[in-house]
Amino acid sequence: MNSLMVLINKEFVQMKRDYKIIWLPLVFMFLGATQPVVMYYLPAILKALGGGQGITIDPSMTQQEGGHIMAATLGSQFDQLGLMIIAVSVMGVIQSDKASGMLAFILTRPVSVGAYIWGKVISNYFIILLSVSCGFFVSYLYTSYLFSSVQFSCVLASLFIYSVWVLFMVTFTTMISTIFNSQGIIALISIVFLLFNRMIVGLHPVLDMLNPAGMSKYAMEFLITGSAENSFYGNLVIIMIWILVTMVISYYWITQKKFH
Amino acid sequence: MKLEIRNVTKRFKQKTAVSEFSMELETGQCVGLIGPNGAGKSTLIKTIADVLHADEGEVLLDGQRISNMKREIGYLPQYPNFFPWMTANETLLFMGQLSGMSKQKLLAKVPVVLGKVGLTGEENAKVQTFSGGMRQRLGIAQAILHAPAFIVMDEPVSALDPIGRREVLNLIQEIKKETTILLSTHILSDAEEICERFVIMKNGKKIEDTTITELLRRNTRVSVSMEIAPKDLQWIQLAGELPYVKKIEVKGSKVEFTLENPQQQKNMLLKTALNHDVDIVRFEAGGRETLEEIFLNLVVGV
Repeated sequence: MNSLMVLINKEFVQMKRDYKIIWLPLVFMFLGATQPVVMYYLPAILKALGGGQGITIDPSMTQQEGGHIMAATLGSQFDQLGLMIIAVSVMGVIQSDKASGMLAFILTRPVSVGAYIWGKVISNYFIILLSVSCGFFVSYLYTSYLFSSVQFSCVLASLFIYSVWVLFMVTFTTMISTIFNSQGIIALISIVFLLFNRMIVGLHPVLDMLNPAGMSKYAMEFLITGSAENSFYGNLVIIMIWILVTMVISYYWITQKKFH
Repeated sequence: MKLEIRNVTKRFKQKTAVSEFSMELETGQCVGLIGPNGAGKSTLIKTIADVLHADEGEVLLDGQRISNMKREIGYLPQYPNFFPWMTANETLLFMGQLSGMSKQKLLAKVPVVLGKVGLTGEENAKVQTFSGGMRQRLGIAQAILHAPAFIVMDEPVSALDPIGRREVLNLIQEIKKETTILLSTHILSDAEEICERFVIMKNGKKIEDTTITELLRRNTRVSVSMEIAPKDLQWIQLAGELPYVKKIEVKGSKVEFTLENPQQQKNMLLKTALNHDVDIVRFEAGGRETLEEIFLNLVVGV
């Protein structure tokens, strides 16, 4: 337990030293602001670009509810650019320690592999969740100001559901980082796999049940309708299992010393 | 505290790096693991430090598997790599805490250890600004910090310049008084200087396990070596006809005589030389082979 704290502490000092603790929340705050601001000015943009002739889009058609705007923040911003940023910021967690030999070195101390992986996951999840929350909160503020306000309890519930999907992104990228040695490959596999999961949401109910990205859909649903379907709980259990599986694979990979 | 290595075998894809290696180490010993490049020294050391799993066999410290005894081991990798963004102080605090020491204890101990390895004044410098010698010394600092019963070092001085090498050797001399040390090297004079016992490896196998005095005694020459002025080299042919001279070897102006009974015959040889008015520069009986020669004989010869 003690070594877990030491490792988490080390991760935070490192994040502070390379300013991750500042730029990551800023990026997500920017992403969070984008959706409501662009949607607000969309009628003006359409008007300016569309001109007076030919097909015109009725500006009133683009009027939207606050809940829709926030849901779009998740679906169009966080699940796309945000997802890539998460994968890129996590891709080096274990790979860089493998490359520098620090992983082998740390494990010559009485440190359990579990403490090592948990230290990585907890610290990175914390900073990413903090960034996502900041971004989501900024989105909430802009949405309430520019559109209709959304019930705060729904926002919190939605953020909670979304955070499970974020946890999966972190543990999955950590696992890929444990197995592969090249940063490019790690980023590619993680981003493609996670985006693919997000894309196939809604294709088929059975796939949705197994899909960790389903959490994102439920989070959006919560914002729009204020509640989620019953299938949510099943999906929640399954995503927890996926998270455990990725952690166990990372653990197995390191204890079997396959990383050399 | 006793370290036992029992029939350790480690294979990589096609190559067997260490094969059926066994040895024992008692408290207070300093053992040098010598061998040419690729002999399997680093692999063996990594297996002892539990960085690699042995395919067969086991490493026991005090009768327990090494993976349960990590607290008692200090390990210095061949190229100690630290987090470049940490300062020397932070590195030691980090490694020390991972070894299970409390922070209060470390705050008192770290300056002492840094002083010991000669890094006082560099506590707050980032590791990325350190030279190779300083990194090596920081590596030693982290290996001795938690006062382990046993320290393994992989080529502690091979990558250093003569000054750094000297500093680190002196440091190891110092540590050796308190702990058991196993170090690997391919530089014999280093091993000769700090270790009493040698284990020589070749192709992953142990080919010799002995002390330095034993090694030198066993390889004492029964020859007489003589250096003479070049003008008297024709005398050698005459000497070759002497009944008690078994063999003559000429290397430049140096001549080596192998005698039947050097104790009695060396003076007779000297007398003949004097009779022939040979210009003798040097005359030496019972010379020893250098450790390097012994090593080459062992490693190349087997």
